[in-house]
Amino acid sequence: MLDYSFMRNALFVSVFISILCPCIGIFLVLRRYSMIGDTLSHASLAGVAIGLLTGQNPVLGAFVFTSVCGALIEFLRTYFKKYTDLILTIVLALSVGTAITIISSGRLHANADSFLFGSILTVTRFDMVMVVILSAVSVLALIFLYHQMLYIAYDEEAAKVAGVRVRLINYVFSILVASAISMSIRIVGVLVLSSMIALPVATALQLGRGFKITLLFSIFFSVVDIMTGLFVSYYIGVAPGGFTALVSVAVLVLVLLAKKVSASLRSAR
Amino acid sequence: MMIQAKNLYFSYTGSPPYVLDGMNLEIRRGEYVSVVGENGCGKSTLMRLILNFLKPTLGTIRTHAERIGYVPQKNDFSNSGFPITVREMLDSYRRLLKLKDRDIPAESLRRVGMSAFSRALMGTLSGGQTQKVLIARALIGDPDLLILDEPSTGVDLGSQREIYGFLKKINRERKITIVSVEHNLEAAVANSTLIYHLVSGKGHLCSPSQYAGEYLRKNRIGEEHAGL
Repeated sequence: MLDYSFMRNALFVSVFISILCPCIGIFLVLRRYSMIGDTLSHASLAGVAIGLLTGQNPVLGAFVFTSVCGALIEFLRTYFKKYTDLILTIVLALSVGTAITIISSGRLHANADSFLFGSILTVTRFDMVMVVILSAVSVLALIFLYHQMLYIAYDEEAAKVAGVRVRLINYVFSILVASAISMSIRIVGVLVLSSMIALPVATALQLGRGFKITLLFSIFFSVVDIMTGLFVSYYIGVAPGGFTALVSVAVLVLVLLAKKVSASLRSAR
Repeated sequence: MMIQAKNLYFSYTGSPPYVLDGMNLEIRRGEYVSVVGENGCGKSTLMRLILNFLKPTLGTIRTHAERIGYVPQKNDFSNSGFPITVREMLDSYRRLLKLKDRDIPAESLRRVGMSAFSRALMGTLSGGQTQKVLIARALIGDPDLLILDEPSTGVDLGSQREIYGFLKKINRERKITIVSVEHNLEAAVANSTLIYHLVSGKGHLCSPSQYAGEYLRKNRIGEEHAGL
């Protein structure tokens, strides 16, 4: 299987996204912002369409457009303080509207469908370079802002009292989310991308541990989900995104069952 | 002077009616001031203005603290499902304050008698234990001003006694100025050096005995109810 260069490329990108997605996802999930991941992954389709329309790299287009949408969500918070779900509807309308209008115009020089479902055949060398650069910048930003982001997620007011520039870091975080999403759309696809961000974290949360251990387990489950999804989807000939999402749900169910059995055994003693 | 408010007006819409309606306040260093008043009188708004979470609509409010410690209301602090241990929570806060001494969180926990809980998840602590840990966090970095929002809400009586005893001690011994929004009138009268009584967006400072004598009887709040 690894004799094929497209498979090696897909594997290379998968390693990076399986590490970066849960690192971003844990903050989204704990801030109850999982739906932002969903909205931005749909927004990335508009970026892909703009990239294909203008003859630019679609992943680059997705990164730029998703970053703008992430910043827009943050900006609109000032105007819709009590209706944050409405902000997501507005951004979704803007981005999906843009995507459908461009795709249905018939002016695209390439097929955007592979970005909906994910494909291991389409990872280019330019994508790989972008993934390395975006991952390096994102990981550095995460290390540098780890405690600030942890506190904004846990107790935003305490973060403000400690002098954290919450607004600025929220904008930086929007760009990190955009970066993780645009890196992942080639392989995972727009439709199930948010599950890659949220499900490994949801699984790790079942273990009931502290933040660092939950983060490490989120990465572990993400690597298991994405690698299993990638390899099995290759052998059974289906899109990797959909199958990876199914693996993620299966792993979550297994962990929930294991937790239930372990609790029953403890109470029986 | 630690806190100074002059002709302070605040409204969430930016226009009248004002939640705080031309109030003046001066709190000197080393005082323990309890802010009391009916629901909706502006206690929490005043606290948020002191913390600079809100900006005055008119007038000024200045805080001359080098470092502020803040203890949120336990009921507002409902993030109980968050996967974070007591130690992680305190250590991250130390890092936010850019303090290099790694022993500070442990020392802070020891001071509130919670050393045994350093590895516990925050969400598994009782009301009183959570409040003590939040006080331990507020004390990281040796603040000269400590602001608390209803510290006894959801806390059992035994823990309330310990918490107020500790607050009184650090106010006396370490001269930390304390401003506490209180619904617990008994605790306010028993522990503070001054009481700031807010009524309809305006208030005035008085001694605890004055407050107990004048206001409780004037407002016909039974002594039994107030626990005095």
